[in-house]
Amino acid sequence: MKILGIGIVFNRGRGIDSLEKALHEGWQAPAGVEIKGRKSFAYKVDQPTISDRTLLKNMRRADKLSKMAVVAASDALAGSGIKDLNRKRVGIITATALGAHVTTFDFLDDILEYGDAGVSPTTFSNSVHNAAGSYISSALGIEGPTLTVTQFFFAFHSALQLAQVWLHEDRCEYVLAGAVEQYGDVLGFVHDTKLTPAPDGRIRPFNLKPAYQVPGEGSVFFLLGNKKHDNTFCEIHNVSINADEKDMPQADLDIIDTDGLLEDETVYTRCVSSAVPAAAYAPLFGSMLSGSAFNCAAGALMMRKQKIYANPVTDNLHDLNIVMNTVPCNIELIRCIRYNCFNEKAAVYLRNARD
Amino acid sequence: MPSNEAQDLARIKKTLKELLVADLSLEDIKPEEIRDDEVLFGEGLGLDSLDAVEIVVILQRKFGLEVKDLENRKDVFYSIDTLAKYIYENKKNIS
Repeated sequence: MKILGIGIVFNRGRGIDSLEKALHEGWQAPAGVEIKGRKSFAYKVDQPTISDRTLLKNMRRADKLSKMAVVAASDALAGSGIKDLNRKRVGIITATALGAHVTTFDFLDDILEYGDAGVSPTTFSNSVHNAAGSYISSALGIEGPTLTVTQFFFAFHSALQLAQVWLHEDRCEYVLAGAVEQYGDVLGFVHDTKLTPAPDGRIRPFNLKPAYQVPGEGSVFFLLGNKKHDNTFCEIHNVSINADEKDMPQADLDIIDTDGLLEDETVYTRCVSSAVPAAAYAPLFGSMLSGSAFNCAAGALMMRKQKIYANPVTDNLHDLNIVMNTVPCNIELIRCIRYNCFNEKAAVYLRNARD
Repeated sequence: MPSNEAQDLARIKKTLKELLVADLSLEDIKPEEIRDDEVLFGEGLGLDSLDAVEIVVILQRKFGLEVKDLENRKDVFYSIDTLAKYIYENKKNIS
């Protein structure tokens, strides 16, 4: 299946141009946040980034998670440039690890403060996991199947696999598949107390141990389809979860999802080799359980531009073969890799699109 | 109207307008732009049935008033004026 359009909302802005700009500019310090009196960092999306009066005119009740997802999904659709898209034949798959947890905690706080009869029905309806998917469907007038996939590390990969099935079975002509995560106080507290916060706000993807993290938030959506169009980025050649990759060809670049969410990321040394340069772009958008989607967006952009972008943070404790400079390059295949806490591996192979 | 009643009503109206804008996420309007006699639902401010339930929650949380028979209390939910009057009279009964 092909990536026909990409929409992205993250702390550096909205749209694929913002991602390209961030890849060119490199690392920038994230916002400071305070967690129970302690100073920390988070890659947060500003409210103006998701202020879109036209698109969100009927979404005043939506929470930030849903708004980020709708903006990204809408941009993926618009970016494809496909005019005659039959919206009855478009599916939506939203991948999220923690979903509307901020709204869920708001709802729980309301119960504690006002009792179960005094809670807001709007807060409740926004707290369900499928809220973002429903808002996308409603805001964009999409009438195909809508599903939300929830899993800690591999939600995005599962969403891509499901999209492959829907397209293969011709259940849909196109699928909007993407990921969305939101930062909140509870998540900040968990990150700060259970993981290793980056003391200067800088994720060091090649440190591996200790693995420093800075929580992030945002959304990436991909318009996927089997037919190549003018604006096609690349194709998703293969998506695997815990599968044998011995028959897969060697990639030109490995993008690894090292972002500090695993306590020990040395497991990634199993898959990278000195023959293939490695890159990791989490320092641009933050540590997210669905961060693979953001790295895949960076990979797809590199395929389209035929350019490899320098790593935003190049501390290289293990002397890996990492990308140091932004250079034009002939890229045929990119592998995006994520490990979970059970040392299981998921991989997305991006390849130049063929007819 | 005794002056303290007028002051109480004015205070309730101001609070109500601020609560409506904040809790109903009304994006294009400021509290002071809502007229006291403006129709809240349909024409006018354009609120809908879900907003009505949210207003019931506001009355309960902020003013300690329970509105049980929502369908037959449309007169109360007509405008800021009618809501404020309802709050004033019922809070007086409670206290």
